[in-house]
Amino acid sequence: MTLIATRPGPGAPRPYRFPQVVRRTVAGGQVVAAHLPGQNLAVALLLLDAGAGREPVGKEGLGGVLAKALEEGTSQRDATAYALAIEALGTELVTVLDWDSFQVSVQVPVERLSAAVELLAEAVRTPRLDPADVRRVRDDEATALRMDWANPGPRAEAVLRADLFGAENRWGRPMYGDPDSVAGLDVDDVTVFHSEWFIRPGTLIVAGDLERIDLDALAAAAFAGAGGGPVEKAGPIEVSLHDQRRIILVDRPGSVQSTLRLGHPSPHRAHPDYVPMTLAGTVLGGAFTSRLNHLIREVRGYTYGIRGDFAASRRFGRFAVSSGVQTAVTAPALVEAVGEISRTELTGVTEDELAVARSWRAGQLSVELQSPRAIASALTTLVVHDLPDDYHARLRESLLAADVEQVSAAAATHLHPESLTLVVEGDSAVIRDELVASGLGEVVDHTP
Amino acid sequence: MPDSGYPWPIETTRLDNGLRVVVSEDRTAPAVAVNLWYDVGSRHEPEGQTGFAHLFEHLMFEGSANVAKTEHMKLIQGSGGSLNATTNPDRTNYFETVPAEHLELALWLEADRMGGLVPALTQETLDNQREVVKNERRQRYENVPYGDAWLRLLPLLYPPGHPYHHATIGSMADLNAAALATFQGFHTTYYAPNNAVLTVVGDADPAEVFALAEKYFGAIPARDDIPAAPDGRTVPATGQPAVEAVTADVPAPRVYVAHRTHPYGTTGYDVTTVLATVLGTGRGSRLYQRLADGERIAQPDLVGAYGVDLAHGPAPLIATATARPGVSAERLRAGLTDVVDELATVPVTAAELDRAKALLSTQWWRHMSTVDGRADVLGRYATQFGDPAKIGERLPAWLAVTAEQIAEQAAELLGAADRVTLTYVPEETP
Repeated sequence: MTLIATRPGPGAPRPYRFPQVVRRTVAGGQVVAAHLPGQNLAVALLLLDAGAGREPVGKEGLGGVLAKALEEGTSQRDATAYALAIEALGTELVTVLDWDSFQVSVQVPVERLSAAVELLAEAVRTPRLDPADVRRVRDDEATALRMDWANPGPRAEAVLRADLFGAENRWGRPMYGDPDSVAGLDVDDVTVFHSEWFIRPGTLIVAGDLERIDLDALAAAAFAGAGGGPVEKAGPIEVSLHDQRRIILVDRPGSVQSTLRLGHPSPHRAHPDYVPMTLAGTVLGGAFTSRLNHLIREVRGYTYGIRGDFAASRRFGRFAVSSGVQTAVTAPALVEAVGEISRTELTGVTEDELAVARSWRAGQLSVELQSPRAIASALTTLVVHDLPDDYHARLRESLLAADVEQVSAAAATHLHPESLTLVVEGDSAVIRDELVASGLGEVVDHTP
Repeated sequence: MPDSGYPWPIETTRLDNGLRVVVSEDRTAPAVAVNLWYDVGSRHEPEGQTGFAHLFEHLMFEGSANVAKTEHMKLIQGSGGSLNATTNPDRTNYFETVPAEHLELALWLEADRMGGLVPALTQETLDNQREVVKNERRQRYENVPYGDAWLRLLPLLYPPGHPYHHATIGSMADLNAAALATFQGFHTTYYAPNNAVLTVVGDADPAEVFALAEKYFGAIPARDDIPAAPDGRTVPATGQPAVEAVTADVPAPRVYVAHRTHPYGTTGYDVTTVLATVLGTGRGSRLYQRLADGERIAQPDLVGAYGVDLAHGPAPLIATATARPGVSAERLRAGLTDVVDELATVPVTAAELDRAKALLSTQWWRHMSTVDGRADVLGRYATQFGDPAKIGERLPAWLAVTAEQIAEQAAELLGAADRVTLTYVPEETP
């Protein structure tokens, strides 16, 4: 025999050390930085309390349009000159919008960081926002969303979100808006949103070799001309569960796959069950070896992949499963997916499964300690969710300490297979009858 | 700027069975990346067996002599690790990043599937993964607008018989015809230690890795008659542009312009890399400035140019743009073509060149900022160029490219007679 049959055990565990965190108040803003000795690349990220949750109802997509408009010229230079200046440093402005925050960042060799932050601040604090440019950017964004919505997925997600949270609420509408909401924005919407949310100092996140970075100078540049203080953040939203399961069918004629989006509301990020709930989601649909992926992909071959998880922002959360399955097996795939969710709710998880889930989640924290981008992202989590410097180390401990009883209890409490909304985006003419016959719930046709 | 693009140590050895082992120690994070490059890709597939190298990659996760079906994923994720594999025309790579104390487990798993896959391979597993791959094809290529562009570009760029003529995902007909014996033979033929490079980067000691490599891989026999892929280094010029127009369910007209350049790793391809960045990366690029901003005929988020880093033939350079509402495919094609043509006639300025090099430098260091990024590139250089230390030469080589070289390459390779043009036009709505 040429191979060694015995599986080796682990070597001596390495200690988990999150980089040293530095917090400072400079020029009216907060600085949160991590020291990465010897790292040649650095990331600086300006975190603003201007997430999609701050957009008024009916104005969805405002943050996305403003993000693009920031680069259409500043008080000091036109759009072309700005692009050439920032790209000459080797970076582009990266903007990220989620429910809780607006983030704009640069990533450059460390010696270019201060020049890059000056340009970042110039765009964020003093954009030109010329009305003709804003209108063009808005039209381009509406077109970009139309392109995106031609793919399977976005329509199904919007339908699911509206059904879970109510389309009358901002959080019941798509995070980035839809082609029509963006097309309906006007110039004042954009300039008012900017003056309301983009002048407040916010938090400057820095990940890099702090011995080669002057944090005070960076902060002075980032907060120059800023004004106004933080605005109180609203608390978690109560969302009720539906009293019965149903299927919403979104027609996509000729589709060779059916896109599945299954979900129901779940707790917000600060809920005390966050860790056991995350682990229950991992066993059910998070890891490659999850129950859903094992059955639907590895045993049945219905799909290239299926995932499920609990996602949570400051004010609300949702449990969701997503996949694309071959059209012919749409109904059986749905039946089996709902079956696995029910089984997990009713009988919980096994120690064998939980062992994989907890070591995977904990180990990923070590694996993610590498790049400045990943560290900056971890710091952002601390700020958005008001968490202490040792949060990641403590999270690791609580992941490793979670037992079968706690995780099974979280599954029983937070999974609601009878309240699921099952959105199917596929070829209605081919799959509708089978969906009705599946007995999973009333079938409703989505009318756009 | 450092003189080398790789300021970390590199140590190498070769086991008696031919397995090359590359180790690059870095104790910054308590993680280690393990990466195997097998020198087999879709370029080795004969007619009628397209998609087999990639389908085979799936089978490598389904158990081996001492590893039960699905246990591979479970053991790596259960150790806190991430894992995956990819297949392209040139090669197949398998990789995992794990907390450093699980290095030995990762090596054991890789050795077991290198040396012991065939006895564990069953018809049931093949049938299951064939369906998974067919769903991958539907999801990534068939069910999305423009999803088949790459499948259409390859046969336009490379003639029948060329190893890059067909796409790695393969055809449904060939996948349906895949027989178990073919895959058993595939493993026996190509998955030999002397056809692979094992790279370990991160929190690990080189001497210890060499000893573990010997322990787990050392007894796997070499194979001395591994067949080469067809030679694809030269593609005879036809003297005729290749043009394809597709009417499909797409939301807007889109144009791809593609050319054959040089193989990855050559000075010529370094020029292509910088040229593509000048042409199509960022808001300061020529395509953005001319088509998205200037004439405003292209959608800003969907304009760009890039080289595809293939090493065994003239690699493609692809430029693409998608029309703004009201702009015809023909107008967009003419605009895109003009900007490409001007690379030969309008000299690249010092500012354009500096911008491109600054962006490429950041891109390089970003890639190097993780142990898995480094492991994959070291494996590439060991496999394709025989020496992982050549990794340090790439960034300086990009930074040495001149405006004259770009103009020369544009004149030599990007002319109309060597051009492939693929256009998508939306179906008329009834």
